[in-house]
Amino acid sequence: MKLQHYLGGLEGLGPVNFEKRVFVEPWEKRIFGIHVAMMALSSQLPLPKTPSEFKTVWTWADLRKGAESLNPFDYFKYRYYEKWLGGISGYFVEQGYITQEELEARTQKFLSQAGPAPTKRGDPAIDNRVTTYLIEGDSPKRDIKGKPRFKEGESVFVKNMPTVEHTRLPGFLRNQIGVVDKVYEGGYSYLCSTGPDGIGDPMPVYCVRFDPEKIWKGNIEKNVSIYADLYEAYLDKVAH
Amino acid sequence: MPMVERFHYPNDRETRNEARIRALESLLIEKGVITSDTVDKVLSFFETQMGPFNGAKVVARAWVDPAFKKRLIEDTPAAIAELDLPKGMAGAEGEHMRAVANSPTVHNLIICTLCSCYPWPVLGLPPYWYKDPTFRARAAREPHAVLKEFGLDIDPPVEIKTWDSSAQIRWFVIPERPAGTEGMSEEQLAALVTPESMMGVARVEPPR
Repeated sequence: MKLQHYLGGLEGLGPVNFEKRVFVEPWEKRIFGIHVAMMALSSQLPLPKTPSEFKTVWTWADLRKGAESLNPFDYFKYRYYEKWLGGISGYFVEQGYITQEELEARTQKFLSQAGPAPTKRGDPAIDNRVTTYLIEGDSPKRDIKGKPRFKEGESVFVKNMPTVEHTRLPGFLRNQIGVVDKVYEGGYSYLCSTGPDGIGDPMPVYCVRFDPEKIWKGNIEKNVSIYADLYEAYLDKVAH
Repeated sequence: MPMVERFHYPNDRETRNEARIRALESLLIEKGVITSDTVDKVLSFFETQMGPFNGAKVVARAWVDPAFKKRLIEDTPAAIAELDLPKGMAGAEGEHMRAVANSPTVHNLIICTLCSCYPWPVLGLPPYWYKDPTFRARAAREPHAVLKEFGLDIDPPVEIKTWDSSAQIRWFVIPERPAGTEGMSEEQLAALVTPESMMGVARVEPPR
């Protein structure tokens, strides 16, 4: 069980940090740009081939798996893009694009001397593919056969899926009953198979309304409701 | 106590982070994974093509055109496509968007308890507060208390609807049009709209 899957509703955390900047330190922009490029150059996308040496798959699911696998205290300790820097550097080493020694040596070099800006290099086709990805996106929506199992207004039970590595089912909703507010058209695939957790192949997705008074009985503000978008694999009929 | 005060960080935390990212980027350029322009091009795209300036225009149109507002709520991507916005309004992280409207009886708040899902084409990149685990954890159970910390008091009779972005639908809020803005042009109205108001943690303030 991972704390990261059960964040919603966690108590005792202290005040909210109302920091409006996107990037808190200038370096954070660079890791964001690298992540976008990796998603755009990822090998499963139906985009034109480029001379990039990036030959593997990198999606949001990979980034999320990294964050979800962290020690829960580190998850709170490190800033958002610090977690990205760790996860993405680790991926490039693991996949053999660079070695840990190279990365350490180069880091030391930049620590001890202000290196020059990188010289211009690389094929513009790589950058064009990145822009194309941003403009076209990567819609998970698919046509599916058969009808959605649940209809609007129907009560549904949220299963407690055996999540191992990664999930899109918030912990606070597990074993709760909600009401289908909207059945989205068509089916939605997920970026990878989450194994026994149950998503990956195209399936209906529902917007489900929950009464927080039932989730956190006697410990909730008045006149609030919470909605979540949930994959059909996470839902069941309510037992009578 | 704010969360960061509970942890010890080395004095050279940011210097190390900066050296590490420069090392990573330069190695990736040398190995032919990305080009020397890739990161700058991505950043420039978010400064000029995808950002909260698009969402502000969408909201301003909804304020002046009730029929558009209705379409925006019913079929968000189709309504957005009617406007003269940059290419890519159904692009990355905006393939399937939904807008919800605040009213005198309902206040909407968008969160993502599992990560930081955010509608890139219309809002750009999420501000730090949206990604912070403390906000994500607390907003689910105590939205009134959290909004109060943001300086936003929601009257008790108003229902707060919190939307957790747990699948691939990306959400944003159509805030209420402030009083005293009658006669303002769409462009002037758009200038009042903030990213925070389009996520439901702030009101749109009337011009001073």
